[in-house]
Amino acid sequence: MTPTVSASGLTLRYGGTRALDDVSLRLTEGVTGLLGPNGAGKTTLLRVLATAVPADSGAFTVLGHDPGSSSGRQEVRRGLGYLPQTPGFHPDFTPFAFVDYVAILKELTDRTARHREVRRVLEEVALSDVRGKRIKKLSGGMRQRVALAAALVGDPGFLVLDEPTVGLDPEQRMRFRELIAQAGEGRTVLLSTHQTEDVAMLCHRVLVMAGGRIQFDGTPAELTARAAGRVWSSTGRDPGAKAGWRTGTGSFRNVGSPPPGARLLEPTLEDGYLLTLDDAGASAEVAA
Amino acid sequence: MSGSTTAEGGGMTWHVDAEDLRAYARGELAQPLLWSADTHLMACARCREVLASVGDPVALDTGWERLDAELDVPGPGLFERLLVRLGVADHTARLLTATPVLRRSWLGAVVAVLAMSVLATQAAPNAASPTLFLALAPLLPLAGVALSYGPALDPTYEMTVVAPLHGFRLLMIRTVAVLAAGLGLDGLATLALPGYGLRALAWLLPALALTSTGLALSARLGPVLAPSLVAGGWVTLLVAAHAYDAHATLAPFTAAGQGVAAAVAALAGGLLFLARDRFDRSRADRLQSDHFRGTAV
Repeated sequence: MTPTVSASGLTLRYGGTRALDDVSLRLTEGVTGLLGPNGAGKTTLLRVLATAVPADSGAFTVLGHDPGSSSGRQEVRRGLGYLPQTPGFHPDFTPFAFVDYVAILKELTDRTARHREVRRVLEEVALSDVRGKRIKKLSGGMRQRVALAAALVGDPGFLVLDEPTVGLDPEQRMRFRELIAQAGEGRTVLLSTHQTEDVAMLCHRVLVMAGGRIQFDGTPAELTARAAGRVWSSTGRDPGAKAGWRTGTGSFRNVGSPPPGARLLEPTLEDGYLLTLDDAGASAEVAA
Repeated sequence: MSGSTTAEGGGMTWHVDAEDLRAYARGELAQPLLWSADTHLMACARCREVLASVGDPVALDTGWERLDAELDVPGPGLFERLLVRLGVADHTARLLTATPVLRRSWLGAVVAVLAMSVLATQAAPNAASPTLFLALAPLLPLAGVALSYGPALDPTYEMTVVAPLHGFRLLMIRTVAVLAAGLGLDGLATLALPGYGLRALAWLLPALALTSTGLALSARLGPVLAPSLVAGGWVTLLVAAHAYDAHATLAPFTAAGQGVAAAVAALAGGLLFLARDRFDRSRADRLQSDHFRGTAV
């Protein structure tokens, strides 16, 4: 399958810190999850792939276009939908007016066609009923859906979503996941998240980042399998565990290298993620 | 818009002309007549009947679909309607009206500053030139343009910067809008100082020079540092000129100073054009601050 995004050797420094350190990846159709603790480089990678900032070195293409040149960058942007981590709005705009504004920025200048497209994406994110309300009066979940609608306008082939479920309550999160799954049909979605549940429910593939590098690239099942035989239960916190926590039943769930005779447990995606971070030398405590 | 006035038709006092309705049915009625027709047709059964009789069915279906869509569209504000009436394309008018510093709060602050400087100048009518006004007036467009783009005041900045509409084009659209508003208000304030004649207009070229220099430098230094440096440089220049000769017209407001300001404006305009691609990306220092906060990267 021809990759939508193909990147090699992406590096970006801030002062003495390598926010991206020789990152290479290929993204194909469907939802790919990007997991990692704070400071891992997730947002930096998303901003580079979304052409918001240039990398210091390395190269990449999106939808067959090289954003290194001004014309190539414009072509990439024509096929891009971007939902930043903290999307901002003109507070007095309604959802319709805001998405219409973004549609103009995406070069949809014909008024009739543009308004038809705005109505389509608002319906797709189930906001048709509040399209005329001011954004500042909407709930956090609805605002996030307005931002998603803005990202979807123009039917982009590559959708970049930076932690879109942060700050949403469980019901809103569930609803947003449905929308992301729907958006992932027929297009390539890169979803940055702290939530392993997002990845488990939505993604056909997962990347784990730490220290500016890709530490894991595979399916969620493969990430889970990394923890096979490395998760066990004990009555107290096991000093040899990489991470351990008391569960609802009162027993401790440990991940790491189990002692002989330990009662092994079925691993989860989160166990695989924690062990991957630990193997990479990143703080599992931060990510837990 | 063209229309006939009548007392018939469910309380309507006017109706859309038959010729306009035919153009509407063909999809050929242009804005802003189109908007008026849309609004009127929603409320007027008689005009809808006439429309049904003059249009072909396919074109009519398209018209109804568009009318249905128009019901969702928030009405354009006064400023936006004015721009469209002046011939600005509706999408450009929308981009202009979303410019942060065209909001009432900013414009109110500009009017307040100008009013104070004019009053202060009028309080000293024997001065050779309205120095305080001339010193302040060029700074207002500079500040307005600086605040009209970049992450500081534009809440949609991160979405805007990855839009296919070139960042420099958007910057220029907003700059023209802010300059028109800023220079217009400066111009109105100048009218309040008739005693100084053309000397009261000596702010104009420095305003263009400061704004273009601020923009050209912001390609490298960012939208905060660059205009701050330019504003600081302007104040320093005025203080130095005053220290050199406190009784004469300050150097930037003399004929020679005006010539230098024009040259600086032209040079900075050229440099700005050469640096246009730099406005097409976000600045790394913004990312850096996010990174060090440890919340976004």
